[in-house]
Amino acid sequence: MDFATPLVLLSGCVGFGEEYTRVAGFSHHEVGAVCLKGTTLQPRLGNPAHRVFETPAGMLNAIGLQNPGARYVVDKILPTLDFSETRFIANLSGSTVEEYYQVARIFDNSPIDALEINISCPNVKQGGVQFGNDPEMSARVVEVCRKATNKPIITKLSPNQTDIAHNARRCIEAGTDGLAVINTLTGMAIDIEARTPVIGNNQGGLSGPAIKPIALLKTHQVYQMCKPYKVPIIGQGGITTANDAIEFLIAGASGVGIGTALFYNPLVCASINAGIVEYLQRHKLTNVSELIGSLQLHEASAAPCG
Amino acid sequence: MNRKPHRNTIVVEGAPVLAHTGHAGAQHIIRLHAPQIAQRALPGSFVHLQCDPYLPMRRPISIMRVDAKAGWVEFLYKVVGHGTQLLSQRKIGESLSLLGPIGVPFILHAERPRPLLIGGGVGIPPMVFMADHIRLHHPGFKPLVIMGSEVPFPFQTQPSKIMLPGIPDGVIACMPLLEDWGIASRLASLQAYPGCFDGYVTELARAWLNTLDPSQRQQVEIYSCGPQPMLAAVAKLAAEFALPCQVSLEEYMACAVGGCAGCTVKIQTPEGPYMKRVCVDGPVFDAYQVFGN
Ligand SMILES: Cc1cc2nc3c(=O)[nH]c(=O)nc-3n(C[C@H](O)[C@H](O)[C@H](O)COP(=O)(O)O)c2cc1C
Ligand code: FES
Repeated sequence: MDFATPLVLLSGCVGFGEEYTRVAGFSHHEVGAVCLKGTTLQPRLGNPAHRVFETPAGMLNAIGLQNPGARYVVDKILPTLDFSETRFIANLSGSTVEEYYQVARIFDNSPIDALEINISCPNVKQGGVQFGNDPEMSARVVEVCRKATNKPIITKLSPNQTDIAHNARRCIEAGTDGLAVINTLTGMAIDIEARTPVIGNNQGGLSGPAIKPIALLKTHQVYQMCKPYKVPIIGQGGITTANDAIEFLIAGASGVGIGTALFYNPLVCASINAGIVEYLQRHKLTNVSELIGSLQLHEASAAPCG
Repeated sequence: MNRKPHRNTIVVEGAPVLAHTGHAGAQHIIRLHAPQIAQRALPGSFVHLQCDPYLPMRRPISIMRVDAKAGWVEFLYKVVGHGTQLLSQRKIGESLSLLGPIGVPFILHAERPRPLLIGGGVGIPPMVFMADHIRLHHPGFKPLVIMGSEVPFPFQTQPSKIMLPGIPDGVIACMPLLEDWGIASRLASLQAYPGCFDGYVTELARAWLNTLDPSQRQQVEIYSCGPQPMLAAVAKLAAEFALPCQVSLEEYMACAVGGCAGCTVKIQTPEGPYMKRVCVDGPVFDAYQVFGN
């Protein structure tokens, strides 16, 4: 699957595709793909307030996968999207392996361009990150989705686990076509006057620039694992500028995800694209692909850490 | 037919600060040059603004006044956290990024020409915008504005020359701007400010409603913005008098354009509960759907 630009709008940040088009100057032509909000079999109301809260260089969210259910998304929302503007990717969630299968079946029979399996949502009681932090469970979910569809499958990995590269390999073996690295990290904020968590769900997922160094390392770790399999990665986590995006490409990502940065500046994609083009010209490169995984590591040093 | 009427309804504008004044109770009034937003805004609209270049996450703030001709928008805000603290330091000439206007505005109805506007604290601004809008676009309407505050009002109060039935003796303080526009206003507080009603906005509103005859009362619609407990009391008052009532809500926001579902409130509908986004499904909602009755 090819994208018009390496930019991908991230799930949960852009609703079901049309929301940001409210903003004058925003265009789907700026991005290669748009990931829709996490979708489950049944409609979900999501978590109680507050659901979002700013933290240093980022934010916490615990939306709780509010969505109208896969059937509604396919029957009522997809027909309103203009697939000539960009590619649209469904984002699947479930409390059971069976639910992932059912949702994947529903999207298989739709115009959606690809399926992203979210096994890394930290904000729901069942499923989500419980699957994502266990490589065998992750592989199980990928396997059943693979049976459900021939459309491209992207598996979104959790950073809240010990060995993300091992998990990535198990997902590749189970049949994923691509990987998304990383979802949010779990975190908390406390209202010291009330002595309660600020977030209604008590804990939430941390996103934004605060997680960028973590996301970059995880992307590189997964890239080294994926390289022989030629499985592409959508790198994400805290990208707000062209330079951030270029770092992820160098680390091994084939595409770069933009989420929280949209909240800062809804028109950020145009400037990221322009910055990438400028960089390619300055380095006399003709294509982004020449950049992917071009990281040259320092010689392993024997010096102790710290 | 335009199948995507929502598109291009919100603009990003770099807005220079034209004026910025501090008032008692950590309140500030800021006026910004934002001609496109000034053109498009309606009472109830808000903007999502960047308080400081180094604090990229925006803050939602409701619009108090606009001048479409001169191209400015004005806001009243209270310093409550890090963002508003940084905002309070912005100087004349500095530029802020505004995203707006956002949201479903208040709706006036021709058959209800006696709008009762109730604003509390930082919920005052949309009521001022509403009063201005009524003055300019509904000259036949007879609005009454009731405002409550537990910190000094962010304007010099003055005795009103507009007589009102049902208002207790001595409750004469009003907002000069509204008085100049010929719009009746009265103030309430528990802080015993001179000329203000000593009690809740809803008690003052009830006193006024009680003196209207049934045909006049049928012409009333209530519009309100303020802290949640006040809005709940306003909704109860509306139910008591069987009046329609629109309230403007607040919630923490991330995107403010409907993308993240971070700002939802539970709305009761005949089909069951729905989670609605305050940013684009609101901020104005039917009070009965928010608070029941
Ligand atoms: C408000 C919000 C909602 C999100 N919802 C989802 C979701 O439904 N499914 C999902 O896979 N990821 C979800 N994410 C994670 C993002 O897609 C992305 O992976 C993460 O935020 C890191 O990127 P960023 O730092 O650029 O935002 C959400 C993130 C945010 C901030
Ligand atoms: S703040 Fe994102 S949907 Fe309202």
